[in-house]
Amino acid sequence: MTPEPMHDSLGGDVVAEEPIGLGTIFLAFLRLGSTSFGGNTAGWLYRDIVLRRGWIDNATFLSILAVGQALPGANGVKATVLIGHNLRGGIGATVALFGLLSGPFAIILLVGAAYRELGEHPLVEAVLDGMAAAAIGLTFDTGLRSAFHGRPGVIALAIAAATVLCVGVLGWPMIPVIAALAPVSIVLALVERRRS
Amino acid sequence: MRGSFEANLVALALVFVPLSFLSFGGSNAVLADIAHQTVTVHHWMSGREFADFFALSRAAPGPGSMLAALIGWKVAGLSGALVATIGLYVPSAFLVYGLARVWQRWRGRAWHDAVERGVAPIAAGLLVSAGIAILRASPGGLSIWVAAIAATAILLRWPKLPPLALIAGCGALFGVIGALHP
Repeated sequence: MTPEPMHDSLGGDVVAEEPIGLGTIFLAFLRLGSTSFGGNTAGWLYRDIVLRRGWIDNATFLSILAVGQALPGANGVKATVLIGHNLRGGIGATVALFGLLSGPFAIILLVGAAYRELGEHPLVEAVLDGMAAAAIGLTFDTGLRSAFHGRPGVIALAIAAATVLCVGVLGWPMIPVIAALAPVSIVLALVERRRS
Repeated sequence: MRGSFEANLVALALVFVPLSFLSFGGSNAVLADIAHQTVTVHHWMSGREFADFFALSRAAPGPGSMLAALIGWKVAGLSGALVATIGLYVPSAFLVYGLARVWQRWRGRAWHDAVERGVAPIAAGLLVSAGIAILRASPGGLSIWVAAIAATAILLRWPKLPPLALIAGCGALFGVIGALHP
């Protein structure tokens, strides 16, 4: 997790000790953000930063993904911050994050402007209904897959079902629901772990 | 309901900053609350607009969705878009930045593992809740429910299907049906 030491012995390998420029980092993440369709930003990051550019190695990338797992935020965003930190410290993390977000931000505002002009046309409304249905399907798919990921026990499934009941079905505000369910879920996971 | 420009910016920040810290598994996890706050509590937009914004943001590139930018833009123009986007993405990024090294050091401890395993089912439940919340906000009626469930079944059966292809295909299908039966 620590940044590459800048003062490596001159006799050692000459691999990538030249720090990567902030402009280069910004452009790399700008390009990534603007072209990563479909939500799986972490996968795009892996292909571009690890495989194509070789800025960080495989093991570092995997540990970066693992660290973020229990913390809030999109995986791609968390990985971007930690990769940027790995490359150039705090300023690298900031530049990478803003690079990642600024492309999609500009694009979505253009889309929004087009929507303001055309959004009330009946045909556009019909197409958007279809797109929304598919996008909802994508959300359901991800939720169901992660609910059943890694052979969950009865307790984990009950917690997931309780969350759906409170937030999805009953429409309760999310913050108190999480504040009540998260401690219960974590304690039960701890008890389950002790027992096994 | 119509506050001043500054009041709207503050209200946007108050909606998105707390949710940033709860976006386990990504910003889609907090969609149910975003829908509730923007449509029901603040009356910033209709349910149809919210569902449309959601569809557009999922079809556009970017991490998770840029839905926050669209909502902020609708409420308070470019400043609103900036406040909402920064509010949703930056606080959790700070948290990850600050906690990553400490969190890594605690790897392997019993409670570390319990936190990871305890949070996972809640994150999964929030995603399913997000889908339900958008279905309820959308005025599209039965056809959207049927199509959303069919799309879910298709994705569970064919996981490698590109998301954009499904969104485009489903949009085209609804477009053709809409043109034939206006």
